[in-house]
Amino acid sequence: MLEVINVSKQYRNTLAVDGVSFAVPDGKVGILLGPNGAGKSTIIKSIAGLLRYKGTIRIQGLDSGMTEAKKVFAYVPELPSTYEALTVREHLIFMQKAYGVNSSEEETNELLRRFELEDKSDKLGSELSKGMLQKVSICCALVIKPQVILLDEPMVGLDPAAIKELKQVVLELRDKGCTILISTHMLEMVKELWDVTFVMDKGHILGTYTRESVGDENLEELFFAVTGRENEQDDTLPKSGGSGR
Amino acid sequence: MTRFLKAAVQGGDTVEAIFYLYRRTMANRIRMALRKPITYVYLFFICFYMVLLPFSFSVMLQEISFDSPQGMAAVMTALAFFILPSNFITYAKRKGLLYRKSDVHFLFPSPVGAKKVLIYAYLKTLLMSVIMNLLGAVLGAALFHVVWWKLIIYFVFSVFVEDMLEACIMIFIYGNEFMGERGRRIFAAGVYALLGLLVVIGIYYYSGYGLSMETLSLFLHSDQLQLVPVIGWYIAALHLLFVGPTVINVAGTAAYLIFCVVMLIIVFRMRCRGEYYEDAMSFADDYEEAIERKKSGEAARIGKRKKFGKASVVYKGRGAKAIFYRQLLEYKKNRFFILDSTSLVMLGVGALLAYLCTGNGGLEASDYILPCASAYMVLIFSALNGKWGKELASPYTYLLPDNNFKKLWYATLMQNIQAVINGTLLMLPAAVIIRMPPVTVMLSILFYVILNANKLYALAVAEVVVGNVLGRFGKQMFQLFIQMFAAGTAAVCGIVSYAAFGIDVAYLLMNVILALVTVIFMIIAALNFNRMEKA
Repeated sequence: MLEVINVSKQYRNTLAVDGVSFAVPDGKVGILLGPNGAGKSTIIKSIAGLLRYKGTIRIQGLDSGMTEAKKVFAYVPELPSTYEALTVREHLIFMQKAYGVNSSEEETNELLRRFELEDKSDKLGSELSKGMLQKVSICCALVIKPQVILLDEPMVGLDPAAIKELKQVVLELRDKGCTILISTHMLEMVKELWDVTFVMDKGHILGTYTRESVGDENLEELFFAVTGRENEQDDTLPKSGGSGR
Repeated sequence: MTRFLKAAVQGGDTVEAIFYLYRRTMANRIRMALRKPITYVYLFFICFYMVLLPFSFSVMLQEISFDSPQGMAAVMTALAFFILPSNFITYAKRKGLLYRKSDVHFLFPSPVGAKKVLIYAYLKTLLMSVIMNLLGAVLGAALFHVVWWKLIIYFVFSVFVEDMLEACIMIFIYGNEFMGERGRRIFAAGVYALLGLLVVIGIYYYSGYGLSMETLSLFLHSDQLQLVPVIGWYIAALHLLFVGPTVINVAGTAAYLIFCVVMLIIVFRMRCRGEYYEDAMSFADDYEEAIERKKSGEAARIGKRKKFGKASVVYKGRGAKAIFYRQLLEYKKNRFFILDSTSLVMLGVGALLAYLCTGNGGLEASDYILPCASAYMVLIFSALNGKWGKELASPYTYLLPDNNFKKLWYATLMQNIQAVINGTLLMLPAAVIIRMPPVTVMLSILFYVILNANKLYALAVAEVVVGNVLGRFGKQMFQLFIQMFAAGTAAVCGIVSYAAFGIDVAYLLMNVILALVTVIFMIIAALNFNRMEKA
């Protein structure tokens, strides 16, 4: 389970995130939605332990700063970077060592195969294209067998085959009880994945909507209705089941 | 879930992960470097200097009577003044440790402890430190005639004690979560205070004994210096080793060792959960941005972002001229318009030249000094691509509907105008002092401008001819070669014509030759200027 409790973050004079709270239960896929500048990146970086913040973030019931919590948490950033002098396979070995995970070579190869990286396993980070960097980043997150995974715009740069594979992986992780939080603007890509959606704007959570509560409501329409970005769609805001601010 | 967590915690060996990352990165870097021919050129130069420098320093050290173990202590003391305080201050500013975006991505969110992440960054500098200390030990034997066992102690002390203490101080300041921003600022102020103390001792010796090598030697070996906390205690340890025991240096060494142990205990017990990650992440972004800007040929300082004001420009003309007006708009938004740090340096060197030309020889000496100074300044400065480099990297330059020659000309016009200003700043002070005739002044400024243009278009030729074949260093070598060929031809003609007809004709001939070659460079560059993919 991932719990964000009353988290605030201020950059000098700008309050980027103001008392944000939400939770993604075990075995559920949460989607973090919001326009540019809504505070999504700040929340994501706070969860990943990259920013100082006020409030509490818990991973599997543990404070996110604790080593034990970090061991079960994986992160795929929006703009992945690799070590330019490490090969793809060496990245995976490093992650296993850092997280204390013992994966067999077959498991590693299977992961590389799923994302069509098997023949690139000896390529250095500096030799990878943008799409391949994203695939390596996803593989590095998956190789640690996480209990909670945070994916920031994971589909950007991926080819259709990799997007399909990633969706499949997300569903498999969910079925295994993993907690997943995805921040994305590509709503079409996650329409069949999500269980709970958090709509953010101006540093606040405007509403929390579960799939059960909104039924077949289109995520895109939901987003515009909640954020008020398109006035003509205001009336589409679901009145039942969702918890607006 | 609890069982899973316990298993996960027991399975982790984060130290091994850090060493794996360090080891593999180093091994792959070495393997990559050995594949590049340029590595061997660098190695040749390094070996050459390693052999040459001790010989040249040997003579100098003998002349100033520093060729003894005492001399080594003095040199190491002087180095300690520069290295230790600056390191401490950068740590206090949460800078100085180089993290890359990949570290932010993989290492910071991982279960690797925040202190170990600090040690990993320090490890990256440790190899260089070991090499430098090894070099120090070798030079100690070759230049300062220190006995071998003392050099072994020096090496072991430097690598295991001094580096460990620096690592401890780094962790204590960088990773400290109780100190806060204010605390770190106070720490930095404390280091400045120690530096101030060193300066006060220096002033005391200067006022007492005057300015001489003997005074410098007295100062570097002084007891007072060895009483300054931390920096002085380190100097005391060096003196104990190289000069021999005194009450002061034994006490200083003892204080240093006790301080090491205390710091080790503090750092070991100190809580550090990674609050510094935010600052380190910001520094990593700035660092990578600076690297990218440097790669594209721009001058870049880490963390220094340019501030732009408001400005407007009227575009007169179409096509490639738009590049010129866009650059003009960018310069107008700059605080000092077209002037930059190079202009300031040119003014300083210009003033120096003016001073030199007032000495023996006056006007005649300027005939030799000024063209040489122009050539030298063009060679060492304006080595960067400037705005031109950005134009080359932009696809809009290639898509613009105009002919290549015009694109090349308008994309570089502002840099030529800049050269006129910088050339004037370089030449005018000396010209005024020695009352140089106006025609000669104009020819000398023109010489600087054409030399600069020659270099600029030589780079353009290198970009389009060998840009994708030889890499950055190869490209620079190619540029240097064709530029030297042009400058060399002009120089020979200049010397001959100076002997026969005087300075004005010499300048004129050199300008004509360089201008012709520059136009040829422009044509070659423009002819190849069709696609972004060069060569």
